[in-house]
Amino acid sequence: MFNYSFRWNQALAALPQMLDGARVTLGIALQSMAIGLVLAVVLTLCRRSGNWFAAAIATGWVEIARNTPGLFQIYMAHFGLGAFGIHLSPFTALLSGIAFNNAGYLAENFRGALTAIPETQTRAARSLGLSGGQTFQLIVLPQMLRIAFLPTTNQMVWAILMTSLGVTVGMNADLAGVTQELNARSFRTFEFFAIAAVIYYLITKAVTLAARLVAWRLFIY
Amino acid sequence: MRSGSLIPTLLATALLVIPAQADKIDDIIASGKLRCAVVLDFKPMGSRDAQNKPFGFDVDYCNDLAKALGVKAEIVETPFPERIPALMSGRVDLGVASTSDTLERARTVGMSIPYFAFEMVVATNGKAGISSFETLKGKTVGAPAGTYEAIALEKQVKAWGVGEFRPYQTQADVYLALSQGQIDATVSPATSVQATIQSGKFPGITLAGKAPFDIDYVSLFASREEYGLINFLNLFINQQVRTGRYAELYKKWVGGEAPNLLVPGVYR
Repeated sequence: MFNYSFRWNQALAALPQMLDGARVTLGIALQSMAIGLVLAVVLTLCRRSGNWFAAAIATGWVEIARNTPGLFQIYMAHFGLGAFGIHLSPFTALLSGIAFNNAGYLAENFRGALTAIPETQTRAARSLGLSGGQTFQLIVLPQMLRIAFLPTTNQMVWAILMTSLGVTVGMNADLAGVTQELNARSFRTFEFFAIAAVIYYLITKAVTLAARLVAWRLFIY
Repeated sequence: MRSGSLIPTLLATALLVIPAQADKIDDIIASGKLRCAVVLDFKPMGSRDAQNKPFGFDVDYCNDLAKALGVKAEIVETPFPERIPALMSGRVDLGVASTSDTLERARTVGMSIPYFAFEMVVATNGKAGISSFETLKGKTVGAPAGTYEAIALEKQVKAWGVGEFRPYQTQADVYLALSQGQIDATVSPATSVQATIQSGKFPGITLAGKAPFDIDYVSLFASREEYGLINFLNLFINQQVRTGRYAELYKKWVGGEAPNLLVPGVYR
């Protein structure tokens, strides 16, 4: 039933435009990861703080971020907040939606990583005279980040792929947005989507490989 | 495989192969149903009633077309960006989906003669001080991705060099964004804006004059190589106008006098 003749030359002519889009996609993913990492550390601290209010907020955040679709989170950042008169541009809505999601997942990664660090280390550090803050900063945090490093690259891949949801809030500069627009204009759906899929694949592959290299250099025991 | 099942298998294969050589009209008549791609968030052309049943100009038009072919109509909802994938993957036989007949698209799909024409107007939310098309300069505007007005509007924003254009995935999202103030204005077919203002679903939306775009002629579309079907569609559109059905449907869904589908001074 598939009745379509592929015309690659027309689609490949738009490759520079799509690569520009890919750069925007990677940029959003990197920014969302940077924001997400910082927020995740804060969420982790909140959950460990013993302050029930901070812990409740952090737990609520993680629950919503992990148990609702990314599409919903991004749509809410644009149209949900918009209903209350808070207007985020498509870029900001997409970035904050993904950062929100990243923070939730990374916080959970960190929680898992923390359980892998023996409690005795904290006690040993405290007995050597380090304060609670110093212990977290110097003993626990570096190990936590190290253990959580590879799961974190997973989240990076996820963030890259989630940027494609930006089209639902009017984003047109990222790879999915550029592709959608080229498709709408020319109706060469399958060529453009195939090229976009290959670009997404290459980006995520490059990110995973880079992360492996970094891990290999960084974490020599 | 048991040897006894070979003959039925061969027979079934033969039955599958023979209709594939017939053309699309034969396929449609043989299947007993006509599957139309229709956009259902685009009043008054396509929408859903309280019972979730499709209605609108395009829905009626598909029903008329099915009747002309002697089959039952099946409305397949396709948002604007999904019309062509639906056709190419064989989910629909043709589109009655307010599709602008641009030459760039005609390289990919077959277009009939125009069956409807839209006049473009500016819709705003009364907050940004927009009173005409010229005052859109420097403002944030939006339209459904890939539509005629979206392409024209984005080009205009680029030509102005200031302001921002945002493509949304559906017409409803555009009106929602406009109503919320996420965008300052949109350019839409006059019929769609009227229907939206009347519906009262998106408060604050008002008309702000005509947009200086060419008339947007829209076509039915089908696979490019289905000449038989496209010929049939052309004759069908001709008959719809000739018999007064076009004017009747226009009066029913839009009101007033139906736009002329003839471009003066040239053959189609």
